[in-house]
Amino acid sequence: MTPERKPSRLSYLTSGIIRENPALILMIGLCPTLATTTSARDGLGMSAAAAFVLIFSNVVISLVRKFVQPSIRIPIFIIIISTFVTIIDYALQAYQPGLYRVLGVFVPLIVVNCIILGRAEAFAYGHGILDSFLDGLGNSLGFALLLTAMGAIREFFAVGTVFGRALTPAWYRTAPMLFMIFPPGAFLLIGILKALVVKLKLGKG
Amino acid sequence: MNSRAWMVISLLITCIVATFALSEVYAVTKPKILKQQVDATSTALGQVLPQAASFKEVEKDSLWYGLDHAGNKAGIVFRVAERGYGGPVPVLVGLDTTGTIVGMRVASPAEGLKETPGLGLKATEEWFTKQFLGRNAAGIVLKKDGGTLDAISGATITSRAVTRGIAHGISKYKEHLRP
Repeated sequence: MTPERKPSRLSYLTSGIIRENPALILMIGLCPTLATTTSARDGLGMSAAAAFVLIFSNVVISLVRKFVQPSIRIPIFIIIISTFVTIIDYALQAYQPGLYRVLGVFVPLIVVNCIILGRAEAFAYGHGILDSFLDGLGNSLGFALLLTAMGAIREFFAVGTVFGRALTPAWYRTAPMLFMIFPPGAFLLIGILKALVVKLKLGKG
Repeated sequence: MNSRAWMVISLLITCIVATFALSEVYAVTKPKILKQQVDATSTALGQVLPQAASFKEVEKDSLWYGLDHAGNKAGIVFRVAERGYGGPVPVLVGLDTTGTIVGMRVASPAEGLKETPGLGLKATEEWFTKQFLGRNAAGIVLKKDGGTLDAISGATITSRAVTRGIAHGISKYKEHLRP
């Protein structure tokens, strides 16, 4: 294979960040994107938990891919993914109980997060360990950037703070745009961000 | 080896490895998880009944005796959760032995409070909770209902969930105040 035709290692890392950003461009994994981004901290926490699962499941699936027959790959992927989800679930309960209570049901739901099964199926099952690690890392970064940005924007408008730090004048914080913290605010914001992406032609193709 | 046998064996190996890994993680995190829960509870109890040196759980997750250094009863702490606007409103209340409220704390959203941000969620703010300090059973009435407590504007249902919860709690647990 000639180097010109093979995608570079670097592109595995960068494609998930903007060009194939899972939630913003491919529009998968939207459920936690909309539901857990009520503050910058929660968006970052959610995407960190998902990143742990995505990176490790990508690496392990890539590691065992030669031994997994196509007909039983999905059950094996699910066992691997749910093992890492359970590990992060216990770890959050033990070390970050406050964050765990906020994220609630969305931690166990990482099992069925389309991004993770999607990367396992579309990438890790057919690529080497290092490439799968880079792909997992890139997609995690893309997901984390979007969730943290959405959390920060929603927190800024709805509460007047970002990461709990007051960034708006006191008069704003007495009567902020509260609806941004509610579900309609999440839909509105993802729509605006998606429109921006289309306008700037950042996406795929 | 034929492929059907390998299918079963590979799935079995995956399950065994996953189970083993999880049991290890469970063994490491379980004591920490339990400790976190106990720490969170004892910190909250200490905040609402500062004169107590230790606490004894009498009813699981709802009633504790606060004991002073000599082991005498310094007061009680109870937890109530009356229905509010978005769900139950958990309140932790500390009473001294005369039945006066010495501390009270409305659970934060991280602890399960589901009231509306900007409205009912203000029940966790200090200006609201400190009004209850120093009152006894007779004083837990909102201005709207003929008492002297300020309600949260726009969140009467939440305010009433707090006052009703505390009033019910005091009448339910007042026998426990006797030394």
